[in-house]
Amino acid sequence: MKSRGGLLIKIGELKVFFQRLFLLILFLFSIFAILFERADSNITGTIDGAVLKVTGPIMQVVEFPSRVIHRIYTYFYDISHIYADNRELREENKQMLILQNKVRTLEVENQLLGRLLNYIPPTEAGFISAKIIAESGDSFTHMLLVYIGNEAVQKGQIVLGDESVIGRVEKVSGSYAKVILVTDINSKIPVVVERTRVRGILSGNNTERPSLIFTRSAADIQEGDIVVTSGVGGMFPAGLPVGFVSSVKGSEISVETMADISRIEYVRIVDYGLSNHTDEWQEFFKSDTDE
Amino acid sequence: MNDNWRESVRLFLLHRIPLLATFILIFLFSVPIHSGELNYFRPMVGVICIYYWGLKYPYMFGYASAFCVGFWSDACSSSPMGINSLSAMLLIFIIDRFGRYLRTAVFGLVWSAFGVITFILLLFKWLVLATYFGRFFSIEEVFICYLTTLMFYPLITAVNVWIQNNFLPQESIDE
Repeated sequence: MKSRGGLLIKIGELKVFFQRLFLLILFLFSIFAILFERADSNITGTIDGAVLKVTGPIMQVVEFPSRVIHRIYTYFYDISHIYADNRELREENKQMLILQNKVRTLEVENQLLGRLLNYIPPTEAGFISAKIIAESGDSFTHMLLVYIGNEAVQKGQIVLGDESVIGRVEKVSGSYAKVILVTDINSKIPVVVERTRVRGILSGNNTERPSLIFTRSAADIQEGDIVVTSGVGGMFPAGLPVGFVSSVKGSEISVETMADISRIEYVRIVDYGLSNHTDEWQEFFKSDTDE
Repeated sequence: MNDNWRESVRLFLLHRIPLLATFILIFLFSVPIHSGELNYFRPMVGVICIYYWGLKYPYMFGYASAFCVGFWSDACSSSPMGINSLSAMLLIFIIDRFGRYLRTAVFGLVWSAFGVITFILLLFKWLVLATYFGRFFSIEEVFICYLTTLMFYPLITAVNVWIQNNFLPQESIDE
């Protein structure tokens, strides 16, 4: 009887021990998942990818009513603003016609000068349109989940929304891709202020207004200045619009993205053929600096 | 023997209902709404559900369930893997330690305690992520998330109560 009681106590102790061990494993697993994610490991990528494959199709179905409601709302909103929009568009159209003539002249001039210099134009970029099926659910991440179907999308490709840069592809898994937005804390894009050519890095800070950092001279930057990609680093081609300067407070410069990211339904994933060469360029720059 | 096996399966499935309900709620709340203003008001549904089920049925909703909910939240919200699992387990740890004081308390008190616990949880998550990324996040957005979660607490709790009353009647669990 006594030995049976002792055995039960031992089993109980063993059970508690295994429960604690299990808890420790879960705890360590979470920490390692964070560390692996930081190191961009394949392990978390595989888990993430597997979950994406399961949740993606369901998300597409569930998202449908929300999209319909949004479209109905947009329809009535547009109708209520039709008069003001029409006047604004007429005014804009006048200016565009003037610009169109200028562009035509510049294009011809550019072609002539290009021929004189034997200039080889860059290859045309290919793109695909992708539907947003999920958004980051908390204030700690600014990411999107998009449906890409069977299209060949690679990590690092640029994502445009309303003709301006909104992010880049972070992960691809089957028919789905994760897009890291320019507002995310992990996003760093080499940019240049179009008017003054002052270079800097557009650094996401998890707010709607990313900061412009590492600028040589904040004095040359004014509110309303357009910020475009500089092409430095090889991830993004030069000249793509990103946003405009919304506030300059000493060395703190905030940028507002051109596209209203939260209202976008579809994005364009553009392949400039740069994502394939990023490693080569990094090697090139490394060897250049070593020399 | 056959009946015993069937009963075990039935109980096992019954015990997974809170976890399944939490999964569905998290999933529904991560669906894009394509509206600029409303996007700011996304509550931490996972935290509300873990808190509710952890208090109500601690034997059904333990560390493993919290871990799964955290992982599911990470996947649905595109957060870095492991962050929500870690905070979900911290939440279960807090409930495990202090839950006995809240199980018989009135709703107002449970809600207030939820406010305090969520604050601790967000602070923890904020600090972990600040260490992870090497910089601090905007406190305003975190605060908005906190207030939204507090505001949504009664609504999500009402859904959980409905699930509990309809799918988890006391006698079916005790049988």
